[in-house]
Amino acid sequence: MLGIWILALFLLGTARGEEVCFERLGCFTDDKPWAGTIERPVGKLPWSPEKINTRFLLYTKKNPNNFQEITAINPASIGYSNFDLSKITRFITHGFIDKGEETWLSDMCKRMFEVEDVNCISVDWSGGSRCLYSQAANNIRVVGAEVAYFIKVLKEQYGYSPSKVHLIGHSLGAHAAGEAGRRSPGLGRITGLDPAQPYFQDTPVGVRLDKTDAAFVDIIHTDTAPTIPYLGFGMSQAIGHLDFYPNGGVQMPGCTRNPVSQIVDIDGIWEGTRDFFACNHLRSYKYYSDSIISPDGFLGYTCASYDIFQTENCFPCPKGGCPQMGHYADKFKDRVISGIQKLYLNTGEDSNFARWRYKVSVAIAGKSKVSGYVNIALYGAGGNTRQYEIVQGTLKPGETYANFIDVELNVGRITKVKFLWNNHIVNPTLPTLGAAAVTVQAGEDGNVFNFCGSETVRENVLQTLTSC
Amino acid sequence: MASALLLLLLLSLASASPTRPHPHQLGLIFNLNNGNLCLQSAQCKSSCCHRTGSLSLARCANRAAENQECSPKSIYGVYYKCPCENGLTCKANKTIVGSITNTNYGICQDPRSSSK
Repeated sequence: MLGIWILALFLLGTARGEEVCFERLGCFTDDKPWAGTIERPVGKLPWSPEKINTRFLLYTKKNPNNFQEITAINPASIGYSNFDLSKITRFITHGFIDKGEETWLSDMCKRMFEVEDVNCISVDWSGGSRCLYSQAANNIRVVGAEVAYFIKVLKEQYGYSPSKVHLIGHSLGAHAAGEAGRRSPGLGRITGLDPAQPYFQDTPVGVRLDKTDAAFVDIIHTDTAPTIPYLGFGMSQAIGHLDFYPNGGVQMPGCTRNPVSQIVDIDGIWEGTRDFFACNHLRSYKYYSDSIISPDGFLGYTCASYDIFQTENCFPCPKGGCPQMGHYADKFKDRVISGIQKLYLNTGEDSNFARWRYKVSVAIAGKSKVSGYVNIALYGAGGNTRQYEIVQGTLKPGETYANFIDVELNVGRITKVKFLWNNHIVNPTLPTLGAAAVTVQAGEDGNVFNFCGSETVRENVLQTLTSC
Repeated sequence: MASALLLLLLLSLASASPTRPHPHQLGLIFNLNNGNLCLQSAQCKSSCCHRTGSLSLARCANRAAENQECSPKSIYGVYYKCPCENGLTCKANKTIVGSITNTNYGICQDPRSSSK
């Protein structure tokens, strides 16, 4: 008899799962896998919905600057607002420490209004995001439940299909979107902008954002270095239908500035301070925001790894085209292959981040072997690019050098290219070099343009090559 | 005075920067990447220290490509419009007032193609 009691006490001790229940949203436990695992050592129950105070701030084309606050608890508030049942709805959820009234959320809505008419809802949960990380990581379960409840009310009271809903979540907000998707069958799309790594990486599907949470899940990874010791905040794990790793996903260009240059930012001290602490992590929503107005500037190339993408293969886009990172990723929805699909691309270092990838090969003509670099600029109907370095080192006449360049504008049909070489040191023999042939291949459609040259030039002189 | 203060700030904050996988890319005084604050074009990899207005801070920026606005090289070492990339000349109407106020703007052109 005593043995049974000891056994019972022992069992209670191990499964000491506590539980909180809230009306509307249901119960939340801190059982496994929510706590007590290696990934989630500290167990915390989520705070109450009243404390977290999830708010829905609606922006539409009619009110792009000032939000209307709507709530599912009082569904009539949706009817009175500018919410348009015939349009799709995009929810944007912020992450840790952040708030829904931060300018990046409303700016993203404004960008959308330039290209489409949508209900853009910024989800504010600052009541639950400004606390210990382990607490915030659990509070998102309530935030996800609140969003799911909102979607449910839309469906039941207004006949609004969940397939017309797109959830965009940054960092912890991405996992909140995952929770909402799990509770809302038939949800259209979730975009995870650098989903948070601590407490979520390597956890079961039920805890984090996953491709099972919506009909289409696309992810942008921008800060995938391990949290310990590199302070990377984003997940490296591929968890969506499409997983984009711009610039390899670890270190973003423009994020290696010295501290003063980073903090004293063009967009102000506040933006600069945010970037000082989490530049790579915050790039994800900046890329997304730019992708809204540059549909073809963020093409993702399917590749085994970033190193392979940088050197060869994985170029150009396959017949059906490349998926577009960001806003237009869902154009590729129907062609998603099962299994993990990692996509790589390069971006700029400041807004505008859009880039267009080309493969350029240059056949060198001349008499003497020199050491230096070769630059190529592209000219087309859409304008001309800066000069991009193709090769640096020993330049041998007769050799062909090839490299990839990511140019800052879409030049369209390329009509001519310009070649320039430069020696690092003064050479008294005044050698001349030229490009006998330049081949440019566009990444987007694989089109090849050939250019020929017959002359050679001194260093720092531009040689123009015309089509042949 | 202001520049000395800036330099001091740079150095004092350098130790506080979060460690990232590639800390060697972090320029402090020379060999600065685009976007870093600068006082002189010689500090920048791009050799253009650019500012938007007379009161704004200067940062390293790309030099101007062909057909973009530019300034000829000036003694100030800081530009409202960056000089051109190699091989291009900044076609500008140079005036005395312009060279004092650093506003001799022009357009980058290829000297070899304009002659045709």
